[in-house]
Amino acid sequence: MLVIPRKQAVESPSSSDEEPIRSEAVSRPDASRLVGRLGASLRSRFGDSVEASVDRGSIRLEGEAPSYDDKVSAGWLAARYGFKGVVNDIRAPGEADERLEPRGAADSSLDGSYYDVAIVGGGVIGAAIARELTRWDLSILLLEKESDVAAHTSSRNDGMIHDGFAAKPGSKKAAYNVRGNRLWEPLCRELGLDFKRPGSLVLFRTAAAAALYPAMAARARRNGVDGWEFWSRARVAAEEPNVTADQRGAFFLPSAGVLSPYRATVALAENAAMNGARVALGACVLGMELDGGSITALRTNKGSVRAGVVVNAAGNWADVVAGMAGDRFFSLHQRRGTDMILDAETASAQRHILGMPRLLQLHSKTKGGGLVLTVEGNVLVGPTATESPGREDYATKPEELDRLTRHLRLNTALSMAQGITYFSGVRPCTYEEDFIVERSERVTNLVHAAGIQSPGLASAPAIAQDVAAMVVEAAGRFRRVAPRAGWRAGRAAPPEPRRLGIEARDALIAGNPAYGRVVCRCEEVSEGEIVDAIRSIVPATDLDAIKRRTRAGMGRCHGGFCTPRVMELVARETGLPAWAVTKKGPGSELCVGPTKAGPRRSRGDAAARGDASGGAS
Amino acid sequence: MIRRLETDVVVLGAGPAGLAAACSAMEAGARVVVVEREERTGGILKQCIHDGFGLLRYGRQLSGPEYALRDADRFGSLGGRAMLEAFVTSASRLEAGGFELACVDRGGAFLLRSAALVLATGCRERTDRQVFVHGDRPAGVFTAGLAQYMINVQGLLPGRRAVILGSGDIGLIMARRMTLEGMEVIGAYEAKPEPSGLSRNLRQCLDDYGIPLALSSTVTAVHGGRRVEGVTTARVDGAMRPIPGTERDLSCDTLVLSVGLIPENELAKSLGVPLDPRTRGPRVDQNMHTLVDGVFACGNAVHVNDLADYVSESGERAGSSAAAYALAGPGSPSRVRRLSPLSAGPGCLYVVPQLLDLAALADVARADDVCLYFRSSSTMASGAVARLAAGDAPGAGGATLLERRYRALRPPEMERIKAPAGSLAVGPARPAEPGPGASLIVEPIEPEDR
Amino acid sequence: MSERKELTCIECPRGCRLTVEVDGGRATVSGNACPKGAVWGAQEAVAPMRTLTTTVAVEGSARKRLPVRSDGTIPLARLLDAMEAIDPVVVRPPVRRGDVVASDLLGLGVDLVATDDLLGEDR
Repeated sequence: MLVIPRKQAVESPSSSDEEPIRSEAVSRPDASRLVGRLGASLRSRFGDSVEASVDRGSIRLEGEAPSYDDKVSAGWLAARYGFKGVVNDIRAPGEADERLEPRGAADSSLDGSYYDVAIVGGGVIGAAIARELTRWDLSILLLEKESDVAAHTSSRNDGMIHDGFAAKPGSKKAAYNVRGNRLWEPLCRELGLDFKRPGSLVLFRTAAAAALYPAMAARARRNGVDGWEFWSRARVAAEEPNVTADQRGAFFLPSAGVLSPYRATVALAENAAMNGARVALGACVLGMELDGGSITALRTNKGSVRAGVVVNAAGNWADVVAGMAGDRFFSLHQRRGTDMILDAETASAQRHILGMPRLLQLHSKTKGGGLVLTVEGNVLVGPTATESPGREDYATKPEELDRLTRHLRLNTALSMAQGITYFSGVRPCTYEEDFIVERSERVTNLVHAAGIQSPGLASAPAIAQDVAAMVVEAAGRFRRVAPRAGWRAGRAAPPEPRRLGIEARDALIAGNPAYGRVVCRCEEVSEGEIVDAIRSIVPATDLDAIKRRTRAGMGRCHGGFCTPRVMELVARETGLPAWAVTKKGPGSELCVGPTKAGPRRSRGDAAARGDASGGAS
Repeated sequence: MIRRLETDVVVLGAGPAGLAAACSAMEAGARVVVVEREERTGGILKQCIHDGFGLLRYGRQLSGPEYALRDADRFGSLGGRAMLEAFVTSASRLEAGGFELACVDRGGAFLLRSAALVLATGCRERTDRQVFVHGDRPAGVFTAGLAQYMINVQGLLPGRRAVILGSGDIGLIMARRMTLEGMEVIGAYEAKPEPSGLSRNLRQCLDDYGIPLALSSTVTAVHGGRRVEGVTTARVDGAMRPIPGTERDLSCDTLVLSVGLIPENELAKSLGVPLDPRTRGPRVDQNMHTLVDGVFACGNAVHVNDLADYVSESGERAGSSAAAYALAGPGSPSRVRRLSPLSAGPGCLYVVPQLLDLAALADVARADDVCLYFRSSSTMASGAVARLAAGDAPGAGGATLLERRYRALRPPEMERIKAPAGSLAVGPARPAEPGPGASLIVEPIEPEDR
Repeated sequence: MSERKELTCIECPRGCRLTVEVDGGRATVSGNACPKGAVWGAQEAVAPMRTLTTTVAVEGSARKRLPVRSDGTIPLARLLDAMEAIDPVVVRPPVRRGDVVASDLLGLGVDLVATDDLLGEDR
């Protein structure tokens, strides 16, 4: 068995930028010839352990690979042959048996219901689609298996609204990124969200790199990026005095923005709910019923839901959800990214997003990572990009953190000691490394928004527009669709006392004293804000959900002080006992029960020995 | 209308440091306002239900709440009232001198002006991510203080089977407390080659219950996505890096961290108060006066103390000094300080105060005993001598100003020297110049020397 | 027969290392910096005793637990028994520090007393 050399496996993330073997859709007579060539190519790498076949227009890979990297490399290789998609059923060591499973107990709250549109997945894509669809007089259901929206990839990214420069020219990514970048700013205004456009500096390390400026400009022009310019070394030093001396100027992309990805998702879901969409939390799709090439019902842990049109926005599970509809024409692989958040004191350390990608990454599908600003201003380091199995495996690893230290060198005012926390996210990637935004070719009433990896957040509003149009078209087959009367674009964002002037803050507290009781001291979050989150139209009932909405527990003490207070507020508002309050939904209870609950388990093993033989202290 | 209050001294925090400061300031004749975030005074002592507090101050072993009640009684008898559930949102120095704090409580926003400010803001705990524990972020990872609050104040059991990372005192106390409440404590893991907590806590919190302590060992990863399912431990080398091949997986549902405390000084920073990188608290003189005139600091906000008694002691000093400062008024000659550095010399991890105000030392009316708090930088098990030498250069060979001998010194156990003001004659020849300073040198005594 | 034990004194934060020689009923303590250490060491070598600090449940108050302590020492080996005996104890405000909340714990002649005030005005 041949093993792909490690170097190649690691560096081939740029494979989709390589010349495709076939660029247009594969015609039937071509298929057998191409799959033969692919088979030969796979045999030269894997021996006979991997096989390729054509399955209804897509390439299907089967067999065994010596490593997950090899499995992914085989997928990338297959993607170059221009088929509809790559279904990668190769087995590799380290892959766990993962199932799409509900978190909590089953109920029948959705049983027998009907919706014109059912959206599977409450990430930023599903929430944006739901909100976009509420412009029409359709009944809409957003299904989210977790206890809150934005529980996965949408809360585990750097919040950057990319300029669109990095995406491969001609890709869906490039088009949606540039469109989405323009849409976010007005959208944030409507939803009462912060949006900043600090711009991004791609620093040149060598004079040779600076000579690439014309090529970079050409690419930016091809992608339709809004504005760019070359900054001299002196200008970079003047505008960013803390930047490393090891720079030879920069490519400046003023359109790069930042926002809070989870607050944006919550705001989109809340606005959708205000406009009549039903947001079902803790609702997991377990299967689908089909009749004559159409989905008739979704089987969920909350009962059977009939749906006119189904949208697959299931993030890292989108291939599984496609499979439920008999439309598994692609597989997702997981690319983990780790980010580190630095203390709020770093807010004055830099004004722009900083990056220094290696030359090869100019043509890469993953950006090199760097020093991003959060919308609050503190610096966020990352992300890394590592192929790694596990759709929801967010364990951080020391080597990922080590990689982040490389970025810290870009800014001399930063150090690892300023880190408050670090976390991982998982990008759902197709082997073509591009988005899938289309109506199913096999199922009449299914629309896919899948493979939405980076720059998915930046692209979300544009993807939502197109998906909504596809849904309206599909729904038009069974009913007349008219604009919704009284649709409201805006959302009254809940008050944030810390941002008010003293007079306004005083007035707010006079109306509700709970806004005067500070619960989270690091982020200055009041009881009133936490109660608002719990009582939201898309309620936050666990600690992570409250943290995403209010920032309580996000600061430097990391919840050390406010956790018990927030638990008590959740208990008071929901009627749960305090010990049953969870960190992130069922299975993540913070405590096991009250104290004073009977016999001491530890007696007999770690019990008081009562003997007098002195300890070693 | 925004409420406006004006007073001589504002004390931030009503824990043992803040209440001691408030009381001593009131006893010195100053008007005092205490601002406290929580619903009751007492600070962290409210949840420290174990005993062992007050031996120095009251000559007996009190529980945390008992110690805190004594402070509250004294404060109440002086007519003091703390503003409870009140929070300072910003602080600024006024051009005309003094300070203005913007605050909120349930009654609204208000402005608080004072001539002097005492920072008694305590400390916070280091978290798992600050000691680079890897894994996902499941429920079941708690700092020791958080677990203590859950058990002692909320009456909640945080888990069934716990591993403790770190051997700080709160972690040791929680090992016992969790065992008594029916949890199984598998063991404590300390990355350093020596325990961080007091010897008596190793005895009465671990040994009494047969809980093992593994030194030069750490927790490298936590397992589980939703609730902790286990941890990986490993031995560490001299640089505290995990040694490959020594990893062990333990099954548990709770990880309790006792990996250090960090003085809370966000407000001090916003006022431009310079900090000592070793203590992470403000640099202060012997009167707990920071380098910003009118800003005093005490307790764990200055450096992490191992005894509440010392916290109170520094509060007393800060309060009386702040009162004297406030009452002296602008332009008073007693407000003029002549600061000389007091540095941590070889063998000394840190020393507080970091500065000596020579003007106050020379003023007979104000000169008081000076308390020096220090820790040795390494364990000196067979005895040690601490020597205060004139001159602030490392290894200063200047005249010995005072000397103390110890049977043993360990970095976790803080020492305190009460020195007569006269012994610290480190002033320069000409009074206008800063003094050459002094440094505290700590040297081990070899067994044969004793 | 004489037995030698190394102990860490817990009477104060100093944590003296004691050496206790037990010969029949007689214990000789060395290494102590104060007389308390001698008394403690002699007792510890024969039958360790501890003060128990814990909490009791509260009703009729926003506070859930009231801190308590044993007003004397009890055998180390009986601490977990004592904890179980304390489980059912419930207090209602007002309670003042020093008030006995349970008397004669396990028949050991030691009472359980409040170490904090629990007054009616607590929400």
